[in-house]
Amino acid sequence: MSAIELNNVTKSFGHVHAVADVSAVALPGQVTALLGPNGAGKTTTLRMLLGLVAPDSGTATFGGRRYDELTDPFRQVGAVLEASGCHPGRTALDHLRILTTMANLPQDAPGRVLAETGLAADARRRVGQFSLGMRQRLGLAAAMLGDPAVLVLDEPTNGLDPPGVLWLRGYVRRLADEGRTVLLSSHALSEVELTADHVLVMAHGRLLRSSTLAELRAEAGVGSRVRTPQLDRLCSLVDAAGHTYRRTDEGLAVDATPEQVGELAAQHGVVLHGLVGTADLEQAFFRLIQESDPAEHLFSAEGAPS
Amino acid sequence: MKALLRAELLKLRSTRTTAGLLLATFALVPLTVATTVPHVGDENAPLSLDDPGLLADTVGVSFGVPLVLMLLFGTLAFTQEFRYGTVTSTYLGEPRRKRVLVAKWLSLALASVVITAATLALSVALGIALIGSRDGDVTLAGHFWGLVASAFVVMAAYGLIGVAIGALVRNQIAAVVGVLVWMLFVEQLVIPTFPAVGRWMPFGATNAVFQLGPALSLDGKLLSPSVGGLVLVGYTAAAVLLALVVTPRRDVL
Repeated sequence: MSAIELNNVTKSFGHVHAVADVSAVALPGQVTALLGPNGAGKTTTLRMLLGLVAPDSGTATFGGRRYDELTDPFRQVGAVLEASGCHPGRTALDHLRILTTMANLPQDAPGRVLAETGLAADARRRVGQFSLGMRQRLGLAAAMLGDPAVLVLDEPTNGLDPPGVLWLRGYVRRLADEGRTVLLSSHALSEVELTADHVLVMAHGRLLRSSTLAELRAEAGVGSRVRTPQLDRLCSLVDAAGHTYRRTDEGLAVDATPEQVGELAAQHGVVLHGLVGTADLEQAFFRLIQESDPAEHLFSAEGAPS
Repeated sequence: MKALLRAELLKLRSTRTTAGLLLATFALVPLTVATTVPHVGDENAPLSLDDPGLLADTVGVSFGVPLVLMLLFGTLAFTQEFRYGTVTSTYLGEPRRKRVLVAKWLSLALASVVITAATLALSVALGIALIGSRDGDVTLAGHFWGLVASAFVVMAAYGLIGVAIGALVRNQIAAVVGVLVWMLFVEQLVIPTFPAVGRWMPFGATNAVFQLGPALSLDGKLLSPSVGGLVLVGYTAAAVLLALVVTPRRDVL
């Protein structure tokens, strides 16, 4: 199975530095999430990886080979870069047949991937009649035609409804569990929190962080959300134990691990109706991005929780 | 290359655009034939019914619309890929972009054979019927067979130039409007008004290859067929070379 390697890739469009000296690795058997706000350089990075945009310097490779050096690229790398990459007048089946023919893939491949992505019943419908979510699925179907060991997905959850997002998470996770390398981009950490093993955080064209999700979670700090009918008593116990807390609509948010809160409640016979661990990853993500450019007020005003 | 070519032919067959363009063309070819064949006793017509070259000229003039179609057809082969974003999957399937260009040229060349044959069948049949019905001269002279041979070559060249235009311009509206304005207005205006300039233009050179000077009231003002052919070869080569140089270097955003 192939690892994806980015070595010092840099790209400018005129005076705009879209991607600056980015080096990163995505390993087989893992879902690697490329995270960053809009304009961070994620799409340009993926397009450089796939040979669609030429880097000014640096290399982007699959198992040590550039995309244009791969033999039978569809059998090695599957990619979804835009949900609208289909002619609206063509049927889904014809769209896949064209790609199958081009790549000399088995003629039963379109039927297989349409079934895998839940589009079998829509195979003969024109793509112009598809919803954005269905087009996203069709894009994934096209990427899986050659049963590739590497998948590159640009904002794959765009346009998907909540069941679609859930389906995608499971699908992508399963592909990584099969040993494939999955690199996907997203502008929201919450979208990949349940799927990704490794995160690459980008902003302003630079790579700010490459770490496992567990590391990022540890950095963000772990807290607990508690529901209890004895709220005042638990508050005083938590306070006495030296933890900070705040009351929420549902109960209490405590700056302590679920284990600490649970043991404290058990020791003093406090009844709990609910206890879950929380890690404010999103907050940590925004902090990282803001720290990269303190002058970037727009982003915090628009998206970051204060 | 065989797989790429098959995929390109499938692209041409799998949308309604192709059928629509063909239908429009074959509806207009009979109209051109009908307006080219002179009526009995029409003294002012540029062609006369007893001219042995009448059928060849009629068939030659009838290629006006199919030539525009071939140019558009070739242009759309690429601009549609950019318009709908399918160029991404095309280049992912074949990252060597020159091969994609060659496959498109081959597919358009094959399509041009079919369209040329159909246009010939339609215009020759209608021309013979119409000229015959007016007791005119229906002669399959040397000029006629030369026209048939050159029609296949010129139509293929227009397809190649169209693909190159699409690859270079990329924006579908700009490319299609540009092609239509050039073919239907600029050349139609310049060729009769400034023949010294117009005869060097692509359509002017095509008229020379088809020997349509008398039929278009441009007798003696066009290039010789061989020079016209060379000019067309020059335009085609320039377009092909430019597309081959530019296409692999461009970023696909």
